[in-house]
Amino acid sequence: MSKLVQRLQQAADGVAALMLAAIFLTFCAQIFSRYVLNYPLGWAQEVGLTLWLWLIFWAGAFCLKHSDHIRFDILYQATPRKVQRIFFILAALGVIIGFALSFLPTWDYITFYKIKKSAILKIRLDYVFSIYGIFLAAIILRYLWAVYEHIHPAKWAAMEARKEPANPHKGEL
Amino acid sequence: MSLAFTLCLVTVFLLAAFGTPVSFSMITGAIIYLLISGQDLALAGEQIVQGVYNSFILLAVPLFIVAANIMNAGTISDRLLQFCVAIVGHLRGGLGHVNIVSSLIFSGMSGSAVADAAGVGRVIINMMTKDGRYPASYAAAVTAASATIGPIIPPSIPMVIYALVSGTSIGFLFIAGLIPGLLMGVVLMIMNRVQAKKLNIAQEERTPRKELPRITLRALPALMMPAILLYGIYGGVTTPTEAAAVAAAYALLLATVVYRSISWGELYGALKESAYSSASVGLVIGAALIFNYIVATEGIPNQIAGTLGEMDLSPIAFLLLINVVYLLLGCVLDATTVILVIVPLLIPACRELGVDLVHFGVITIVNLMIGLITPPYGVLLFVINGTTGIPLAGMIKQVVPFIVMLIGALLVMTIFPDLILFLPRLFGYQG
Repeated sequence: MSKLVQRLQQAADGVAALMLAAIFLTFCAQIFSRYVLNYPLGWAQEVGLTLWLWLIFWAGAFCLKHSDHIRFDILYQATPRKVQRIFFILAALGVIIGFALSFLPTWDYITFYKIKKSAILKIRLDYVFSIYGIFLAAIILRYLWAVYEHIHPAKWAAMEARKEPANPHKGEL
Repeated sequence: MSLAFTLCLVTVFLLAAFGTPVSFSMITGAIIYLLISGQDLALAGEQIVQGVYNSFILLAVPLFIVAANIMNAGTISDRLLQFCVAIVGHLRGGLGHVNIVSSLIFSGMSGSAVADAAGVGRVIINMMTKDGRYPASYAAAVTAASATIGPIIPPSIPMVIYALVSGTSIGFLFIAGLIPGLLMGVVLMIMNRVQAKKLNIAQEERTPRKELPRITLRALPALMMPAILLYGIYGGVTTPTEAAAVAAAYALLLATVVYRSISWGELYGALKESAYSSASVGLVIGAALIFNYIVATEGIPNQIAGTLGEMDLSPIAFLLLINVVYLLLGCVLDATTVILVIVPLLIPACRELGVDLVHFGVITIVNLMIGLITPPYGVLLFVINGTTGIPLAGMIKQVVPFIVMLIGALLVMTIFPDLILFLPRLFGYQG
């Protein structure tokens, strides 16, 4: 099981890296085409923006761990582990409730766009925007699992044991 | 302030204080607001998705992150450092000066302070502490202080985000940062010289003159990068967003073809790392879009503008007041969040009081960069502590004199707007 999760994680990371590489290459193609061949590529901007949207919410859904996010953890880090456990459970329930409340209306909003297509490549916009719905669902499920891990005594003990050194400042500029 | 907005703020602060990612805290707070004020809950997703999908300039953010990570994966920084040693290494406090000058050059290629501290900074700390030349805490402090110049000299990721929320031109913002960045470099070098004397640091030997051409030639392709970027943007060849792609392409070209110093594995690692950083910043940007929509609906920025307008502040007095607010906020919040959430609150007040938005932008970012080295939330100190293991306590003690110098430079920039606006005006800025 854990091996499968690991493989899936690697695949998700690969997709994220690939999307970023594609954004980069699209831009290079655009610059080359416009300034060297004098022939601007109409599709480049749309591809770039679509991939950027997907990169953010794909990585948000499947790649970023709790510690990879931008967080203000001064108070959290300063509290004892037992209190952190309660903080986490309460906060996670808040996120789950908020995201779950908005899920169905948001999904309606996304599917409404099946009648519209993107300006140049004519991709159905419900496909383009669907990643945000996937992101909401993934976060709800991941937080539910994390709450279960924090509540279950044995799981909590195991998490305590393999507590990794925190590096909470990856997303900073 | 309505009940819905009060509960929204309470939710955001509580969740964030409990260690929840800032982005999720803001999205949840926004949903609570929509729920209580009886609006469509899909509005949150709509604002986020449409906002990201329609902001072309934001694409510069992931591209500049890629450029910085590729430069750090290759040996570009090593060659730059050798060049800097040859130029300023023999002065009193030589390696400290090398540290600052290399930051100045590096900041002309990357737009991120953290990339600077984690990349070129880590290498120079090793050089400075070898054979006990400099105390480790001092080496770390100089690195942290000089890394703050990264996003001031163009290119700059925080400036791209500021341009998004303020509607100012990225091109004018970028060029406006050049003189302030150099000024910061000069004041840091003065303090480094003073401290080197106090710490009684031995002087290094001068690099033989006949070595100079070879060292310069080796570093030249890297040294060309700031020139290429500036020419690209101001020669009208590329837009600032495209310049970000050019920076990444040039860094890749250097690392693969010219210096042959990067493997496929390292390249993949740099891309993955960049994807992670881009996404976590992108999520905060997205969340800020719905949060700012709500703040604007509630009319908060106009209320602030009204209050400040009644106080009849002069632009300078307003900026001095804002400096204090920013420096305090910077101690506890991170730069991206302040630009995305606090700056939009102040933009109408700037217009009301006649404060130039390019001037305001540069002041804002210099402030927030100083915030990166002020405890308790000094991100650059954490990054250096994380990559080198140098204890925080000593580092904080050594960084204080540099913070004082940077605040002095900030005051000069605040009181003399022409220092910042001179270059943009040369390029046609009407402000």
